[in-house]
Amino acid sequence: MRRAALDIAGTVCEGPWERKCTAGRVTAGITLAIALGVAQVTPTYAHMGTGLPGGFESGFRHPFTGWDHLLAMVSVGIWGAFLGRPLIYVLPVIFPAMMVGGAILGMFSVPLPLIELGIAVSVLALGLCVCLAIKAPAWGACAIVATFAVFHGDAHGVELPSAANPVGYSVGFVLATGLLHVFGIGIGLLNARPKGVLVTRSLGAAVALAGGWYLCLALGL
Amino acid sequence: MRGGALPPALLCGALGLGLASAEGNAVLLGLAVLVVTACAIALAPVPGTWSDAAFLGCWTSIIASAAIVHGPWALRDKVALALSLNAGVWTGAVIALTPSKVELLEALPLALCAWPAAWARRRGQAIVLKVLASWLIAVAVLAATLQFLPVTPGYLPDHMD
Repeated sequence: MRRAALDIAGTVCEGPWERKCTAGRVTAGITLAIALGVAQVTPTYAHMGTGLPGGFESGFRHPFTGWDHLLAMVSVGIWGAFLGRPLIYVLPVIFPAMMVGGAILGMFSVPLPLIELGIAVSVLALGLCVCLAIKAPAWGACAIVATFAVFHGDAHGVELPSAANPVGYSVGFVLATGLLHVFGIGIGLLNARPKGVLVTRSLGAAVALAGGWYLCLALGL
Repeated sequence: MRGGALPPALLCGALGLGLASAEGNAVLLGLAVLVVTACAIALAPVPGTWSDAAFLGCWTSIIASAAIVHGPWALRDKVALALSLNAGVWTGAVIALTPSKVELLEALPLALCAWPAAWARRRGQAIVLKVLASWLIAVAVLAATLQFLPVTPGYLPDHMD
């Protein structure tokens, strides 16, 4: 049975893995190459005597250590895969860009109300978007993702200036965030397989449940 | 700690992505201009007081070079050379301010990503380059903003040091 599945970056994948979606693999390949190159340039920056420890490695590891951030990033990728072109690649561009905007607000100590609540809601909402396979209009999806990205960026921007090597930290952090989006898109490719949609939507439900838990914690329930 | 060889390395990477849309020998010529200019400036005596300007120029150039990737047009030879010259100047300036000039050898190779990027573009995967370029722009904006912070950045000694 031929099945039109995902349309990624101009490549229509027809049938389960009949035509390979090269865009995802090229992205992962080039990103990995750049990550290796950058890691070679900055092997490890330990504590430099001032501020907090921080460098490429520390910034790269950071998104993988916080489940709220990680789940939101991956969900953005999966939701993008559900939404197809152009959002499948626009969302991974918008999120890091707006996250930087939020980080700048955090660095300048601009108070953002209810940050923890906003992050918890982001996990819940993005999980629901995947679970319910919500087909939001392009502007709506961009607005949702951009708003949540500001909250995530602000939370991390507060600690960025005190890192001993904030440049390396920023590069690692943005790169890891982007890779989590790519990973989410990779999970979204499961939609091309029989019952794949069931798997991805179930994952969305799990993320939404986790978001609900975070929301309870943020509300002190 | 302002990143060491990382800012010029990212600039070289951004230039590589930007040159991917150049035609003919412009890529090779652009890379040659980058290497010659960067080496010349790196060996020149750049005053330490120019540090802020050099880093700001480097971050701004990353934004400019990465922004080129988002254009639908092919890069003209003169623009490619101007972009390479600009990248060479700021790469060399930042390296000149670092203790070890050898870091130039770590930064310049990232410009070689022009060829795999051109290959990806020819295969109709320009969107991949655009996503990567947007990440570079995000990092550059963040790093450039650090210079204007009202608080002491972590790479400078504070009252505790």
